[in-house]
Amino acid sequence: MLLRTENLSKHFGGLRAVDGIDFELEEGEVRGLIGPNGSGKSTFFNLVSGIYRPDEGSRIRIGGQDTTHFEPHRIAALGVARTFQLLRVFSEMTVLENLLVGHHLHVAYGPVAAVLGTRRMRNEERRVREEMMELLAFIGLADFAAMLASELSVGQRRLLALGRAMAMRPRLLMLDEPAAGLSPVNVDNLLRIIVGLKERYGLTVIIVEHILRVVMDTCEKVTVLDHGQKIAEGTPDEVKTDHAVIEAYLGREMEDDEVRRVLQG
Amino acid sequence: MAEQAASLRFIDATERGLTRLRAVHPLAPWLVAFLLLAPLPWVLLNTYHVFLANFICVMILLSVGLNIVKGFCGQVTVGHVGLYAIGAYTAAVMSVNFGMTFWMSLPIAVMVTLLAGAVVGIPSFRLEGAYLALVTLGLGESVRIFISATEYLGATNGFSGIPAPRIGDFRFDTYQKYYYLVMPVMLLGVFFSFRILRSRLGRGFMAVREDPVAAAAAGVNVRGHKMIAFLISAGYAGFAGALYAHMIPGYLNPRNFTVIEMVTLLLMVVLGGLGHIWGGVIGAIIVTIVYDITKDYYHYSLLLFGSVIVLTVLFMPKGIGGIIDRFIATRRFIAIREGRATRPGSDDAA
Repeated sequence: MLLRTENLSKHFGGLRAVDGIDFELEEGEVRGLIGPNGSGKSTFFNLVSGIYRPDEGSRIRIGGQDTTHFEPHRIAALGVARTFQLLRVFSEMTVLENLLVGHHLHVAYGPVAAVLGTRRMRNEERRVREEMMELLAFIGLADFAAMLASELSVGQRRLLALGRAMAMRPRLLMLDEPAAGLSPVNVDNLLRIIVGLKERYGLTVIIVEHILRVVMDTCEKVTVLDHGQKIAEGTPDEVKTDHAVIEAYLGREMEDDEVRRVLQG
Repeated sequence: MAEQAASLRFIDATERGLTRLRAVHPLAPWLVAFLLLAPLPWVLLNTYHVFLANFICVMILLSVGLNIVKGFCGQVTVGHVGLYAIGAYTAAVMSVNFGMTFWMSLPIAVMVTLLAGAVVGIPSFRLEGAYLALVTLGLGESVRIFISATEYLGATNGFSGIPAPRIGDFRFDTYQKYYYLVMPVMLLGVFFSFRILRSRLGRGFMAVREDPVAAAAAGVNVRGHKMIAFLISAGYAGFAGALYAHMIPGYLNPRNFTVIEMVTLLLMVVLGGLGHIWGGVIGAIIVTIVYDITKDYYHYSLLLFGSVIVLTVLFMPKGIGGIIDRFIATRRFIAIREGRATRPGSDDAA
């Protein structure tokens, strides 16, 4: 079990953004996390990655370790990488530097070695730069390495955010709406990259996504949230026909064929 | 066209020269810089100008340190002059009241300033932007007020009789001699900042500045990096303070550590280029010289420097350093487009 949450909850004032979610994720799985707007998907991500502090009684375990009260950088050190809905790339840093920050935890020299400019530090710096250039080539941004992230297009920034997460050499990759705002061609491209990454590095992945095609095509299993609670879990086909899911997404009064049409679009 | 070609040739020649120097030894460019700066006291005919050169070196140390915490780590601190004052007065007290040599008072001054820097750094864990600026401003000003009100530190009369540093019988008791103490320290300070900022640590600072949440998610210890940035900048302020205190005439006055000095210091970093590796150096040189020229209008300098800060932030937010970068980038772009392709930017060329 790579990730397990028990009774995970978070309230903001009177709003229960995440309400007692029990969630389990096996090593090597690709899991989709879907649900209507405001159903708690992003809050769930923020809780797991340590950006929000969970409410009393919640428990999060990552790789067998209790991480309920860990700070984000310590959770990152356990091999959890995430992307953000709003990307949060480091705009005034170059594309290569963005990846180097992602690789932060794997750069093995300290400040003293940096000041002294030791051979070890120089070799290490050369190694990480070469590796990050390879990764940039893999996601197709190698030509932009020296450009500032703010000079990239939105689609490229999305790839950069994914690259920065991959630079962390994660065991668990959490993607928060990786395809939002991409054209259909770019969505296909992104799907290829995600599947490629998964096969190449044997990752475990959680994808939050509104574009259902992304989830349905890549995930073996899907979890559905609504109003902060887990309302369904299963294969994409099972979830597609689940009554609670259809209600949550589409309201109560819809005919079966109409439902199908929306889900496929 | 001819001008562009010429400037491009100059940039390329400089870059090639630097690359070749670095190939000889990574430290070679710094040795060249030292050799170029060494004869300055003989070139400057007027002793007052030598004093100014010394003072610029002290200011470079201060502003390079401030650039690390403010420009690179993005923490808006307005109390830096307070740290500088703590460094200066600690060195003064240690050497005058406790009879220590410069070589003892300097490290003690730096250590005390580091402690003070930690105190300034702690609020940055919780506060951001204007709120952090207010707290640090308060801390900085309270140092000056404390000094003005303390007889032991000379109060408003100032603290005098701080001895010049010496090695054996050799005393650094003229500006010409002192230059050979303060210039190498300045050069070392700039060198250290280069090494730090181009390393893993420096990238962590920038990530904290750009987006603390994303930085933390990437595994950067945000609090740790903020604290280290504050400590490093405090270390610079400690060195600057001690060097200033021991420079002849060996006299300190709380008037040298007011809000005007703080604004001047901010202007150096902003004008030179916040977060630009040369920013602190460029800014310190220009602003110190302008400050000196306009000395007769000291009471208006807050107006002058304040409005220059506003104009800089509005019209060239990346400062002079940013303009130079842009200039180089544009020239190279033109060159590549016209087929006179040069190597694509290696970032340590500038």
